[in-house]
Amino acid sequence: MLVIENLKVRVGGKQVLNGLNLTINAGEVHAIMGPNGSGKSTLAQVLAGRDGYEVTGGSVTYESRDLLALAPEERAREGVFLAFQYPVEIPGVNNVYLLKAGLNAIRKHRGEPEVDAFEFLALVREKMKLMQMDESFLSRAVNEGFSGGEKKRNEILQMAILEPKLALLDETDSGLDIDALRVVSNGVNSLRRADRAIVMVTHYQRLLDYIEPDYVHVLSGGRILKSGDKSLALELEKRGYDWVKEDPAAA
Amino acid sequence: MSVSVINSTNQPAALDHYRTLFTGRADAGDALSTLRRASLERFLGTGFPTQRDEPWKYTNLRRLEARRFALPEAVPVAADDDRWIPDCGHRIVFVNGRMLPALSTPAPQPPGVTIVSIAQWMQHSPDEVAAFLSRHESVAAGPFENLNGAFSEDGIVIDIAAGVTLERPLYLVHHWSAPSSSRPAQSQMANPRIILRAGPNSHCSVITHYTGDDAAESLTNTRVSFDVAAGAHIQHLRLQEEGARAFHIGTTHVRLAKDARFTSHDFALGASLGRSSTVVELAEPGAAVSLSGMFAPTGTQHLDTHIRIEHAAPHTQSQQDYRGIAAGRGRGVFNGKVIVQPGAQKTDAKQSNRNLLLSATAEIDSRPELEIYAHDVKCSHGATTGQLDPVSLFYLRSRGLGEAEARALLIRAFAHSMLATVKVGPVRTWLEERVQRRFDLSAGDMPSGDTK
Repeated sequence: MLVIENLKVRVGGKQVLNGLNLTINAGEVHAIMGPNGSGKSTLAQVLAGRDGYEVTGGSVTYESRDLLALAPEERAREGVFLAFQYPVEIPGVNNVYLLKAGLNAIRKHRGEPEVDAFEFLALVREKMKLMQMDESFLSRAVNEGFSGGEKKRNEILQMAILEPKLALLDETDSGLDIDALRVVSNGVNSLRRADRAIVMVTHYQRLLDYIEPDYVHVLSGGRILKSGDKSLALELEKRGYDWVKEDPAAA
Repeated sequence: MSVSVINSTNQPAALDHYRTLFTGRADAGDALSTLRRASLERFLGTGFPTQRDEPWKYTNLRRLEARRFALPEAVPVAADDDRWIPDCGHRIVFVNGRMLPALSTPAPQPPGVTIVSIAQWMQHSPDEVAAFLSRHESVAAGPFENLNGAFSEDGIVIDIAAGVTLERPLYLVHHWSAPSSSRPAQSQMANPRIILRAGPNSHCSVITHYTGDDAAESLTNTRVSFDVAAGAHIQHLRLQEEGARAFHIGTTHVRLAKDARFTSHDFALGASLGRSSTVVELAEPGAAVSLSGMFAPTGTQHLDTHIRIEHAAPHTQSQQDYRGIAAGRGRGVFNGKVIVQPGAQKTDAKQSNRNLLLSATAEIDSRPELEIYAHDVKCSHGATTGQLDPVSLFYLRSRGLGEAEARALLIRAFAHSMLATVKVGPVRTWLEERVQRRFDLSAGDMPSGDTK
């Protein structure tokens, strides 16, 4: 589904990704772990198409297309979804309006008719229940005045409605207490499917207790130093990132 | 801008035009003529304001000065109702400066309300009108108010009796209609005068709506006074959407007695050059004013909002909340001044102006001012001017919305907080449509990833 080859990215004059290689297939859940400043969030932002990230080398191929040539909205319509680390508050834009506008943009791209208003509201209510969101969500503006936990739940709610093929979760566990983490993880787990890939970017192993990855990658200095299965995350938790940095081959 | 440019006015010729225009009118030799002549002389004495006058620092009037506005002709107008907003209450329509009863809501007037056409009153008893108007003369009248005093031919006086609450708004429409004759249309001006006196403890909403054909080159120089007695509460909605070639100069005077309240929402969307000036006197304790509004110049429009609030008594409150959105080469001005007089202790004054620039060539000058001569007061002001937040734009696009759609949505969201406060439903809907149409179009001149 996604093939990243030798990706090099500069941000504000600084080389952040330095020859990153990664292949992700449909149905897989990947966790990308790494210390602060290792380039985890940069990877997520570049894949979603954020401005200000200069790709200086390499390629990203998504479903046989050059992902980097697409505008952010085109990526979204092709099935790429980024759950933001810091979801944006947008006063004056209603939550439901945004969900509907996003879903209709994606449906239009696929040649499908606009969603029926009644069915759509039923769908939103169903997903709200899954994410344990309050009824007031329907009338509130996008993330406005939301607590940190509410914002993260809203990201997963959006994901549940937009049904991406490739979901990128950027530090979705940060700032969550244990109850909110459980709700968010349940939401993500319910969205695991054979035709969907999920990439979690996280600093801590904690999230992986709830969302079990098929693969774990350690990112450091803008490269993937080591890949393995779930046990790698446990090893990291025990021995810290320095262990990989010092001798990637030894572990 | 250099001083020599500011001075390069051609005022003597312009003023000669207004002198000639004045003498060309019939002079009845009555008290009203005397009053008008005094206004003319005051206007000729000062001339038009220049950018050296502080309140006009950011607004250049040379184009307006160069026009030779004539007095308006009566134009037959079909009674189609797309010039005004439906269902907005008791409607009073002016076309080209003249009140047209045929287009207005027929009698009876709402209970407790007296509405008098100044033109009709002048016909019957000019001396009475003169005496009345001179009582409403302000010593601090500016050049445009004096011009209005010299040439005003019509207007209305509205009296609301003590204790009366109007269920529906009073809806005043001023429309410019271009003459349909084959000869080139001459520029015309109208100087409507509106005086509203709200009796003690009365409640009323007033809408003043200025519209016009794009073909009409016109000056609307309107002068509106609200005299709000103790405990009365007036809400004013001001909608300026004049035609593309129009000049609009609006002056609103508000005087608030004890515990009186005045709330206004001022939307400036139309005209080539528009200015809305609001002067509020919080004359007695407990008076409170809340002014809000939005100016949204696009193309080469120049829209100026000027506020002056005077706290002349203790325990008075004022609030200003204005938003500007400028696109294209549009230019916006916000100048809000609060003056706290000696002795006006416990004044509470808040002022906020937030602006959004949608192009590199758009400009908004924001100038909040506080002049405080009392020590026990609470005053705050804040002003910000910026562009659309790139992170918000990215967020919306990452959810599938095209760039143009995302921009338009953020602009509407910025305007929304202003529109949401408008309580008259049909006006709010009308404004939402106008704002949506305007910014969906202006978003189109931005580079877009959504044009396939």
